[in-house]
Amino acid sequence: MVDIEIKRDRIVIRYKGKKWDWMIEPRYWRNAIVWTCVLFVFPLVAYFVSPGLINTMVTANIYAAIAIPLSLMTVGTGRINFGPNFYVGVGGYTAALLSIYCGWGPLTTLPFAVILSVFAAVIFSPLVIVARGLYYVLLTLLLPLLFLEVTFIYTGIFKGDVGLFGVDLLVQFENVKLNFIMAAYISTGIMLLYLLIVNKVLKSRYGLIMATVNDDEEVAHGIGVNINKVKILSFVCAAGMIGVMGWFLAHYFGTFAGITYLPLTFMLKILLVFMVGGRAQVFGCVAGGYFIAFLEMILIRTMGQFQPVAFPIILLILLFVLPSGEGLFGIYRKRHYREYLPTIHVRR
Amino acid sequence: MWDIVFFILIYGFIMGAIYLLIALGFSLVCGVLRIFHLGYAYIFPLTIYGTWMFMRELGLSMIPSIVCMVILQFIVSYLIYKFIIKKYLHDELTLLTALLLVALIVEQASSWRYPIQEGVYLETTLISGIVEIGSAAIPAQLVTGAIVGLVLTALFALFFTKTKAGLAVRAISQDIDSSRVVGINVESLYILIMMIVLIPVIIGMLLVGPVWMIEPGMGWQYMTIAILVAVLGGLGNIKGTIIASFLIGITHATMCFVVGEPRFMNLSALILVMFILIARPQGIARSESLW
Repeated sequence: MVDIEIKRDRIVIRYKGKKWDWMIEPRYWRNAIVWTCVLFVFPLVAYFVSPGLINTMVTANIYAAIAIPLSLMTVGTGRINFGPNFYVGVGGYTAALLSIYCGWGPLTTLPFAVILSVFAAVIFSPLVIVARGLYYVLLTLLLPLLFLEVTFIYTGIFKGDVGLFGVDLLVQFENVKLNFIMAAYISTGIMLLYLLIVNKVLKSRYGLIMATVNDDEEVAHGIGVNINKVKILSFVCAAGMIGVMGWFLAHYFGTFAGITYLPLTFMLKILLVFMVGGRAQVFGCVAGGYFIAFLEMILIRTMGQFQPVAFPIILLILLFVLPSGEGLFGIYRKRHYREYLPTIHVRR
Repeated sequence: MWDIVFFILIYGFIMGAIYLLIALGFSLVCGVLRIFHLGYAYIFPLTIYGTWMFMRELGLSMIPSIVCMVILQFIVSYLIYKFIIKKYLHDELTLLTALLLVALIVEQASSWRYPIQEGVYLETTLISGIVEIGSAAIPAQLVTGAIVGLVLTALFALFFTKTKAGLAVRAISQDIDSSRVVGINVESLYILIMMIVLIPVIIGMLLVGPVWMIEPGMGWQYMTIAILVAVLGGLGNIKGTIIASFLIGITHATMCFVVGEPRFMNLSALILVMFILIARPQGIARSESLW
């Protein structure tokens, strides 16, 4: 039977010899509650001050919600996937095609977007076993680029040149600004849900096993960890989560174009969210997502045509000056709870 | 039937030799420095747009512009080594991201200063006209490019197998620490490699520039080919790179002449690479050695 024990600072659940802890001490909640409130108040303030900021917030949430599963994938597989946008493409095209050709709404297309993303991840999951180091980086980097080519080859289906349009919108109120606010709350909800799930997984016993695989596969195998199972599970689950963001993008904009999400430039943004925000803690993805999205918006407003050049230059400088691995979140959080950083072992 | 086989072989050979020019440098950087030089994509637009910049902004003629561009390439390459590769050699994720950013900066700067409407075109044609080999008609410039590709590869192979510096580079590619112990100046050889890998790409771009499409984002397309060739051949192995270049060239030619769909070229090459990697995870040749 399930045994629930309420302690001073935590709830302990025991079932068939397994144990789960849930930290409940309110002093650990303070920062999370403050930041969650800020995120939920922001769209309302922006509604009256500058409605354009709501769109930037949605973009930031999307970046963070792609980077968070990427973080999980990196730790669990011990490899860095240079093509997470491939699963954005799979999820987005699935949602867009089903919506356009079958007339399905967002709620109906969601499970199919997830299933297709997971299916694609299962097909490519042997890569996490057979390829390592440079080979894995190279092959994952090529996947979205080749998918982009496929969208051009079968342009009759994917409309590779102009993108698919006419996708059912996520929310359809008469007031456009209200649609944006709802989208902001939905994206914030998804992002926070991902954050909660991934943080819990990484801090759990399973997270420790994943960290072992990340650190040294041979040692992990030696101590009895089923490394292939851990790697494939992390890879497939994270891909499914990223696929949901493709679904969100398709239904949020009402269009989906591979040329926007599949090239290296989009992948680079996600990678930078991960790097600038901080690799050591999954919360860094949120800091990075917001930083990148708002920096991009400010540069577009102030620099106009020069923005595409200034943006990577600023990020390159940041990469040099920010504390290695800790990123922006490392500056915010002085104490570092996790002593290891996810690494990629390219030179191995 | 035999016509098609002949076309595949002749075009596969020409394309393979040109792919050698594109991929040789990438493979060597991967093999010797043991890093994935994602910034490699910057060399392609910098060759074309750098030359164009010296011609347009300083009013130089073609040859001095090319000389200035080569000097600029060497300077950029040195700075990349000094401030990115050397600094982050053991923090690979930062290294790869920084290199990608460099490539993106060069691409975006080219696009900002010389947008595609500018119609950048370098008149670097050495031999104009068409060469007819049997029933195949090939632009003479591409044939020249193929011959130059083969000659350059032979020179690289000779350098790495017959010279003392080549021997030292091969030693580094196998074991850096042991190389240091026997007195090899690893850093200066790293810089040397960063410089010499530029040569095939610069020559290749100047040769194919008048025939193939020029646009600021071309570096990513060429880097895709370089990645496929390098991975298939076994990172850093020159023999493997040569075989892989021709295999990819023949695959591309097969897509054009048998399937009749040139847009499948890269997709078919990736499928080929994946199948070969399943059978030989280290590529065609051993990636631990240069030759």
